[in-house]
Amino acid sequence: MTAARIALASLAIAVLAAVPWFGSDVLVQFGINALLLAVLAQGWNIIGGYAGYASFGNSVFYGLGSYGVAITMVQWELPFAFGLAFGVLMAVIFAFLLGLPVLRLKGHYFAIATLALAQVMIAIVSNVPLAGQNIGLVLPPLNNDPLFYELALGLLTAVTLTIFWLTRSRFGFGLIAIRENEEGAAVMGVNTTLYKVLAFALSGVFSALAGGIHAYWITFLDPESAFDISLNVKMIIMAVFGGPGTILGPVIGALTLSAVSELLSSEVTSVAGLFFGIVVVAAVVLMPRGLADIVRRFRKSGWRYFAENIKAHRI
Amino acid sequence: MDVGLLAQILINGVFLGGLYAIMALGLALVWGVLNIVNLAHGAFIMLGAYLSWYLYAGLGIDPFLGLPINAVVMFMVGYALQRGLLNLVVRAPMFNTLLITFGLEVVLTYLAQLAFSADFRTINPPYAGNSIALGSLVLPQARLMAFGVAVVLTVAMWAFLLRTKLGRAIRATAQNLVAARLYGVEPRHLYATTFGIGIGLAGAAGGLYGTVSQINPYIGATLTAKCFAISIIGGLDNPLGVLLGGLVLGVIESLAVLYIGATFADVASFSVLVLVLIVRPRGLLGKAA
Amino acid sequence: MSNSRFSVAGAILAAAIVLGWSTAVSAADIVLGASVQLTGPSANTGRYYKDAYEFAIDKINEAGGVTVGGEKRKLALKLYDNQSDVNLSVRQYTQLVSKDKVDLLLGPFASNFALADSAVSEKYQIPMVQGGGASDQIFSRKFKYIFGTLAPASNYFGTTVKMLKELDPAPKSIALLYADDAFDVSVAEGTRPLLKDAGLSIAIDEKYSSNASDFNSLLSQIKSNGTDVVLMAGHETEILNFVRQAKSLAVAPKLYSFTVGVPSEDFRKALGADAEYAFGMAAWLPSADLKDRWFGDAAAFAKDYKAKFGYDPDYHAASGVADVEALAQAIENAGDTDPAKVRDALANLKLDSLYGPLAFGENGQIDLPQIVIQVQGDAIAPIYGAKGFVGKPKYPMPAWNAR
Repeated sequence: MTAARIALASLAIAVLAAVPWFGSDVLVQFGINALLLAVLAQGWNIIGGYAGYASFGNSVFYGLGSYGVAITMVQWELPFAFGLAFGVLMAVIFAFLLGLPVLRLKGHYFAIATLALAQVMIAIVSNVPLAGQNIGLVLPPLNNDPLFYELALGLLTAVTLTIFWLTRSRFGFGLIAIRENEEGAAVMGVNTTLYKVLAFALSGVFSALAGGIHAYWITFLDPESAFDISLNVKMIIMAVFGGPGTILGPVIGALTLSAVSELLSSEVTSVAGLFFGIVVVAAVVLMPRGLADIVRRFRKSGWRYFAENIKAHRI
Repeated sequence: MDVGLLAQILINGVFLGGLYAIMALGLALVWGVLNIVNLAHGAFIMLGAYLSWYLYAGLGIDPFLGLPINAVVMFMVGYALQRGLLNLVVRAPMFNTLLITFGLEVVLTYLAQLAFSADFRTINPPYAGNSIALGSLVLPQARLMAFGVAVVLTVAMWAFLLRTKLGRAIRATAQNLVAARLYGVEPRHLYATTFGIGIGLAGAAGGLYGTVSQINPYIGATLTAKCFAISIIGGLDNPLGVLLGGLVLGVIESLAVLYIGATFADVASFSVLVLVLIVRPRGLLGKAA
Repeated sequence: MSNSRFSVAGAILAAAIVLGWSTAVSAADIVLGASVQLTGPSANTGRYYKDAYEFAIDKINEAGGVTVGGEKRKLALKLYDNQSDVNLSVRQYTQLVSKDKVDLLLGPFASNFALADSAVSEKYQIPMVQGGGASDQIFSRKFKYIFGTLAPASNYFGTTVKMLKELDPAPKSIALLYADDAFDVSVAEGTRPLLKDAGLSIAIDEKYSSNASDFNSLLSQIKSNGTDVVLMAGHETEILNFVRQAKSLAVAPKLYSFTVGVPSEDFRKALGADAEYAFGMAAWLPSADLKDRWFGDAAAFAKDYKAKFGYDPDYHAASGVADVEALAQAIENAGDTDPAKVRDALANLKLDSLYGPLAFGENGQIDLPQIVIQVQGDAIAPIYGAKGFVGKPKYPMPAWNAR
């Protein structure tokens, strides 16, 4: 990475960090939400984009992180930081315990197994008194949006740096090898099981932290919203929209789509859902490799880029 | 434990399982052959249910007699959709087909709300609530009929896939796209036909669902999740497996409500799903991996 | 072909933007903000609130608006669709307060939404009057800016249990079924001690998953236990399935009663003749005895409402109208739109409305007794009120094949 790029990245972070000082409440609030979604998309990027395992279980990590904070703060009356740690601990345990059997599955089967796990979690948590059962928990309100904003931004920076490190580490190469050809990777001496579980756990840690911050910020959570599967679908869409398996793709995808969706739900309100669906369908057809790929190939192909994509994937 | 109650619960489970099976049949076919996990499958079931509702409430066509009309209309919808839209991404990475069907689900649900409003509907022919008493046991007539339709359709599907030329071409395509050409079928047509059959089955399932349950535009997502579980438990390459998967799930859920508690029905079914995935990833009747 | 698809999308977007703009408000108006469920799974009831809010605001404006400091000012509504998404609704309320700068807030539908959204009104110290959340949890947080016009969830079956004691033949065993969400759990927790005090035994006490569609197992248990009475707290979808499946399994307890659905026309239409005998409750019925400053009385309101929207208002709609009226009256009493002053005026409000006497308790919730109702023929008959029987119950319910 050249010095110019480092400077550019630092500048971008500095500008983002300054938003609470010049932005409106709404912008800050939107920012918290968008940044947390970007963290989730990045977290998914590790297991889905790099290791090639389409996880629908990342919303479980998010939920565990949320409940970690909520249970710690409400039931045990301990500080926020303990809650985050507890949430991360639960996420890591989950990643190891269930990741080991589930990560043996390939392709759709893995996707569906993780989807099922998310469903089971909703039902289980709905019956746990410590977690407030199905009613959920109400956290003490903290009226400090700039703090949440900076936390979310910090977390996004951390996960992005982690991914940057991944792309030039042995671990990261191992994951890419698994994505491209798992048997081949094993032959080359990659401990595939260990790598996959570690990637799952790493992705879980960040998702759990995002969940924890979100829970404290929104001050209310119930099983349905904590383990919401459509949130998981959103992460994937954002990562795929931006470009899975790239360092910045998911961040850009998340921020762009959040902005579009927020604009729609506040300006055109009732048709926002419909429009979101259309955007997803159109994006998959026209730019299946994400925004990152457009940036790369658009210069060469121009508008033919979209037609080329269709030509390449249809029969 | 009361033996009569247990027997009744088992019957309930079997009937529920038949309904489940027919809902999942189309999903499993499309998944197995086209390798598309259709997240919009439940939305098509919902559309089918509304179609039957309009046929019944508007034209007075009995929901069971209307099933063929329903299936044909939905087949055409499915065929057109595959030809015009899904075909564009058939060879794209797996995430993309997941996403496009997700987007489709959102759009269909939204349009359904525009077209049908959020009002609840029920398909309520005079015999819908009738039942047949067998000693202390009660067999709900509509469910019994739905179960019969499910069995017939499953066996018909099985025969179609095994015995007809088109069916064999479809099965061959599941292994290898080029194989379709060997049967002299154009792949695009074959794909669209398969997807059409899947959606036609979803439509028929919707009609049956509407006679035993209420309909609103949002029933799709939960049904899709159920269908996944059934397809996985039963396996993708055999309609009889899907029937078995549906029955297993129906019975497990009914028993879970009786013995563990009503909130655990979903836990039980999804736990079984995860177990099956881990132990027999090709399903109960699937060939060994 | 793809071109035409885009032009359709474009047309929809354009239409939507125009619609969005048409709701723009002028500066002198007093703006009330709300985010309700217009799409998504809760839209079925959520839309009642949109209609109710708009109807009440139009009516008040027709009468000249509200008088603030000797000056007549009109009311305006800024409404968002939260797509039945709790998180989105929280963001939209924040947006209403901090960007749209609305003066006061109206609530969403459903307890879990009110629970989350009340945190926003508390944070920004802007009063929210909501008629969509009844769970006791909303009001147990010592929040000062949340007011509710639904009767407390814990007492939903209160009047019903009183009635049970006076029925002949006397019911003995009860099945209590409830969905696993904030509102229905509150109902169940409130009902258990009531049943115990009434000397009724709970034979089945079962929680089920929200959105459950199959009740055959539970129904078979009810039948096998010979339970006399089923009290069910759930959502309309589940209750519809429950009744249909009860018929198909020939399960006919002496009485069943449901927290929601029975008062709404949609519910009776969906069930047709099978809706007969179902008991329910309403804190509100369109009676001419309920006088109202803007609508005359509740009966006149119900008539106008039906004429305008094409369906009969149930207590959700009336409660939504009451929210707007409470705010309007509180603004006049305070002589100001300042949130803190309106809050105090709300806390001391005493207003006879079409919904009933509006006065908020210490915790911000209203206390209205429920009236037991029953579907008889095409209509809803009031059966049992605060002072005992007001109508004749059709009891016990006959077997399904004897109807």
